[in-house]
Amino acid sequence: MTKRSMYIKMITSSLIRRRSRMFVALLAVAVGATILSGLVTVYYDIPRQMRQEFRSYGANFILVSASGETISEESAAAALGCIPEDKVVGTAPYRYETVKINEQPFMAAGTELSEARKASPYWFVSGEWPERDGSVLIGQEVADVIKLLPGNSFTMTGTDLAGESFSRDFRVSGIVQTGGTEEAFIFMSLADFASVIGENGAFDVVECSISASQAELETIAARVTEIAEDVAPRLVTRVTRSEGAVLTKLQALVFLVTAVVLLLTMICVATTMMAVVAERRKEIGLKKALGAPDKSIITEFLGEGLLLGCLGGALGSALGFGFAQIIGVNVFSRAVQFPAALAPATLIASVLITGLACLIPVRSATYVDPAIVLRGE
Amino acid sequence: MFLRLVKGALFRQKKKMLMIAFTIALGASLATAMLNVMLDVGDKVNRELKTYGANINVLPKEVSLLDDLYGVSDGSGVLSESELGSLKTIFWAFNIVDFAPYLNVKARISGRDGEFRLVGTWFANHLELPTGEALDTGINNMKSWWSVEGEWPAGDDASAAMAGSIAAERAGLAVGDVISVSTGGGNGESVSLTIKGIFAAGSDEDERIYVPLSVAQGMAKRPGAVSSVEVSALTTPDNELSRRAAQNPKSLSVKEWETWYCTAYVSAICYQIEEVLTDSVAKPIRQVAESEGAILEKTQLLMLLITILSLAGAALGISNLVTAGVMERSREIGLLKALGAGNAPVSRLILTEILITGVVGGVAGYFAGLGFAQIIGQTVFGAAINIKPMVIPLVAILVFLVTLVGSVPSIRLLLSLRPAEVLHGR
Repeated sequence: MTKRSMYIKMITSSLIRRRSRMFVALLAVAVGATILSGLVTVYYDIPRQMRQEFRSYGANFILVSASGETISEESAAAALGCIPEDKVVGTAPYRYETVKINEQPFMAAGTELSEARKASPYWFVSGEWPERDGSVLIGQEVADVIKLLPGNSFTMTGTDLAGESFSRDFRVSGIVQTGGTEEAFIFMSLADFASVIGENGAFDVVECSISASQAELETIAARVTEIAEDVAPRLVTRVTRSEGAVLTKLQALVFLVTAVVLLLTMICVATTMMAVVAERRKEIGLKKALGAPDKSIITEFLGEGLLLGCLGGALGSALGFGFAQIIGVNVFSRAVQFPAALAPATLIASVLITGLACLIPVRSATYVDPAIVLRGE
Repeated sequence: MFLRLVKGALFRQKKKMLMIAFTIALGASLATAMLNVMLDVGDKVNRELKTYGANINVLPKEVSLLDDLYGVSDGSGVLSESELGSLKTIFWAFNIVDFAPYLNVKARISGRDGEFRLVGTWFANHLELPTGEALDTGINNMKSWWSVEGEWPAGDDASAAMAGSIAAERAGLAVGDVISVSTGGGNGESVSLTIKGIFAAGSDEDERIYVPLSVAQGMAKRPGAVSSVEVSALTTPDNELSRRAAQNPKSLSVKEWETWYCTAYVSAICYQIEEVLTDSVAKPIRQVAESEGAILEKTQLLMLLITILSLAGAALGISNLVTAGVMERSREIGLLKALGAGNAPVSRLILTEILITGVVGGVAGYFAGLGFAQIIGQTVFGAAINIKPMVIPLVAILVFLVTLVGSVPSIRLLLSLRPAEVLHGR
């Protein structure tokens, strides 16, 4: 039997012989590792997940014309091409024109309604979003002034781009409440809008809701100015700035909580390991009596500790991933991204902590006089 | 005799018991800190979300659509400035963080072409309330996202103005300029104002010039009048009840109505504002109100899950150590049994020791946990975390259960040992 195989045999049999005690220690290490990997995953994923939630504040990036006129469809498409596709939540182009209902002036807005719904999730629509041609959404104030309810019809009049007057019937499919200026508008699909006002291949404004930080938005804005010269990108500072402020606070909160929890679990793991080692003073005494040098005792206990740390760390990484997924699904209804480097990092951290925790009591145990310990005093 | 046994065990194994107490204290402090932070995080994040600005807009009942769309004021329907203090007398007064009144006037600046939109407001106003309290409020608190070049005007400076970046560019204004403004017809008297600051807001506010409310009232010849008020209030996320109430408060039963009125729903606060301001309509700004609710709920849920994880971690750590601590006393228990002690007295002895250790550790841990919670509160939110008394019983129950669960299985195991074998050392 070589020295190494004897060493391995001593470690494994010591772990197996003392199954229940070692299981307790393993559990402690695994819980510590779970907390470490779970919380760190959550910490890294918070900006990504919360940013999605913050998109309920609506557009944070607006494209207007640089010259004060309108944006052509081509330059709008070119500008929108600058935005990374996976970050876009919704992009709604708008055209505005004054129209008349019962000879009273109102503002009509043509937009892609499905995109507007994504870009402005806070709109509260009583009734339904328009599905068919000829149905529109009207703001609460418009509804109050001309006494319309969802399902009613009204006639819209006005002059189109060519200067000819038009008159067309529309059906109200829903009423929008926002508490803001949107309540004074009539929203319809771009096709409906073009059918009454006429087609000019241009938009007044494009509202974009992008899941990105302020710095990323500024880079996108710089690219847009380069590619599409007649488009002026504008950040909605009220949304981007506040989002940044709140996100930083939230991340700091999770960071601090992680740090506190980690510190405490580390101490917990260490005390458990100390207890496990301390109760084996007799064994250490016997080994010393048989002539084992301090070094071989330390390596043996360290080997056990490292094995425990490895097993616990591996178990903890897996459990931590599971925990982060539970948080992702329950809180944000999305899967979380698990940073690949975290699994080895957790493993190394748990091996280090358990190794360190073993070392202290083992060292003090080696100072023991074998005769006294073996006599049982 | 029992007491002597317990005392003996505690003091003889000082080190061991201290270690168990230390672990229990750690677990208890973790539980205390997390529970306190979790229970208070909603309130703290809610205050952070106030950087998004007002979530309630108050308008006169008879406001014309024209005013909003074209900036034309036809004089119908105004709110009264003198009534604004009563906003802080409603049921949810404590939840009203800030508010600022507005009055729009169209004016000319001498030497510049075209009309400018002047908005009278409070930059920073000190208000003496009828209740005897004092309050500082105004747009310098509410528009925290404005990036200002120059400075915010002082509250009592009646000749200060702030220009939006677009308006400043159009009129060629710089910080420190003195302008003379007058109303459209040219027959109104002119007022000279100093531009204290130029701000960029990234919205249509950039096209306006903000002036003290009294100046705007004087120019519009409507003393004491206000055309709208923005209110920033701490609210509870909407639910089914508040949505129904928002549609029509009269559709609720008496009990539902009471619940609704006494909860800080945005619709309930709107309703109470309408009660104190004559002829007013308070509308929630949905962009802010809805999103706040969504983000608050997510944050609270996140903290809840993290708390559960750390409680589970603390519980396992404690019970591990308690198990280890009890297990190694097999010799002592073997001796007790050999001397004729029954199972019941032996269990009682060990449990008492562990529980005494638990109480000591738990109390120490509770206070350490309060410290941790305050560190988190000060570092993250710059404000103290409110200490909730309900955390004490929660932590007590947790520590009690965990030490019990940790010691019972090992005690059972020890009792099943034969004294002869244990004492023999096998």
